[in-house]
Amino acid sequence: MRIPPRLRSRRYWLETGQAYLYLLPALAVLGVFVFYPFFNAFNISFHKVYLVKRVGGRLIPLYMEYVGLSNFARLFSDPIFIKAVRQTCIYVAISVPITIGLALVLATLLNEGLRLRPFYRLAYFMPYITPVVAIAMVWQWIYNWKYGLLNYFLGFFGVDLINWLNDPRFSLAAVIIMNVWRFVGYQAIILLAGMQGIDRMYYEAAKVDGATGLQAWRKITIPLLTPQIFFVFIISLIGSFKIFEEVLILFNNTPGPLYSAMTMVYYIFDQGFNRFHFGRAAAASVVLFGIIFLLTLFQITVTQRRVHYER
Amino acid sequence: MRRILWHSFLYLSLTAGAALMLLPFFWMISTSLKTLAEALRMPPVWIPKALHWENYVLAWNAAPFGRYFFNSFFIAITTTVGEVITTILAAYAFAKMEFFGKNFLFILLLGTLMIPGQMLLVPNYVTIKRLGWYNTYWALIIPWVVSVFGIFLLRQFFRTIPDELWDAARIDGCSRFRFIWRIVVPLSRPGIGTVALFKFVGSWNAFLWVLIMTDKVELRTVPVGLRFFMSDVGTNYPLLMAAATMAIVPILILFFFTQRQFIQGVARTGLK
Repeated sequence: MRIPPRLRSRRYWLETGQAYLYLLPALAVLGVFVFYPFFNAFNISFHKVYLVKRVGGRLIPLYMEYVGLSNFARLFSDPIFIKAVRQTCIYVAISVPITIGLALVLATLLNEGLRLRPFYRLAYFMPYITPVVAIAMVWQWIYNWKYGLLNYFLGFFGVDLINWLNDPRFSLAAVIIMNVWRFVGYQAIILLAGMQGIDRMYYEAAKVDGATGLQAWRKITIPLLTPQIFFVFIISLIGSFKIFEEVLILFNNTPGPLYSAMTMVYYIFDQGFNRFHFGRAAAASVVLFGIIFLLTLFQITVTQRRVHYER
Repeated sequence: MRRILWHSFLYLSLTAGAALMLLPFFWMISTSLKTLAEALRMPPVWIPKALHWENYVLAWNAAPFGRYFFNSFFIAITTTVGEVITTILAAYAFAKMEFFGKNFLFILLLGTLMIPGQMLLVPNYVTIKRLGWYNTYWALIIPWVVSVFGIFLLRQFFRTIPDELWDAARIDGCSRFRFIWRIVVPLSRPGIGTVALFKFVGSWNAFLWVLIMTDKVELRTVPVGLRFFMSDVGTNYPLLMAAATMAIVPILILFFFTQRQFIQGVARTGLK
């Protein structure tokens, strides 16, 4: 093998040294708190972890004992984990399309309505940037079955009082409604940016050919917006699989009535930090990673193949 | 005529939507200024008869909110400063330097975006315990002073800076390190601002990590403090809403002043 000439130059290696010096702080932190724990999560999932264990007369904190696949076996025979996977999937399957659909409509309207756009953007964006704990507290109050705003409004339509947070039939819906509210503006902003990147030329041409606004939207806007739509779709899919904090706050440190709002991350949290079953929590995180990994692979293959119609 | 109809429909629906977005915030503030009896009235009282500002004093004194706010500000500011420094250095190396293993490292960094943070909770808890950082500010700051997203964003900014600048500076005897802080950084202010802003907000809103890595009252941040406040206060909604308002206000103030940068930053993530 020949050594490329650049690898023999003194300047190249000097620059390499300098570059690594600049990268050192970032790589050190990522190494300790991202790369190492990533592999350690797999490792821990094959172990039983004792908070403290007496070995040969000495107390060893966080003692690990190899147990093979038994954490995974227990995980999949735990009906609560199965429920967590199920409820998470239901949550994702309902909330993602609703949010994107509304975001698309909203972005279209924002794209048309030039006046007041800064005000609208501000209003639609606020739910996204404010701390989720405070937001979930407010929604807990809105969902109050007797004095809450939501039931008050539904009363106008003749709907009986719904016990949003204590009725297992409605608890997941409560989480979904709140998060649609939280993320629709954020997604609309991304889609709006995409729409503004579309060349006006296409619309002029469509107008000359006598296309209506709706036709132009269907035949020009949507196809040319596919990259952004797909991006938002994947981002919200991945984000939705990680749902947790909303549940913890809305249901006062429970996964909802009868585990009806149990999610995968809630399960990890509960196993890991309420029960200190680190092995099983790690096993559940490996499963979560598997799902997100597959989604990301899907994103990469699709993005590389199509989606971009032009540019 | 059709145009007028379309426009009235457009602005009507946009305004109705905006009202829906703002309603929970309005309801939060309105409730926070009521007496408990007024809050529990049906049909709801939209604007309280008398504004009970004392709810804020009561909420503030019902828990060590002073400490919570100090912690949140302290952690958010130190994390942001640290992140900006590490990110500038790393992004510059990726944008403007040729070095051994560059592509490999870049792909490695890209790979981290696939890892869900929650997967790292258990192993990081073990690490933090072993380092003796449990219940310390270190645990809340150091792991967060890097942002891969920030490195990518700044790298894009730095790449637009012409190489001639560096060539000229080098001839004048300027070191690379000085060049970064004197020339590159001032030229990339908007990018750095966006990165810092995202970090600050992220840090302020962070909840789960703080909850897990500490169990001392003195180390609680505002979101974690709020959660414990909820269990203490129970169903005194005016006090709860006063506390929630206090937690949201700093972020809202920041957002009002930096709106443009913020929204452009978000829009950019979708454009790549």
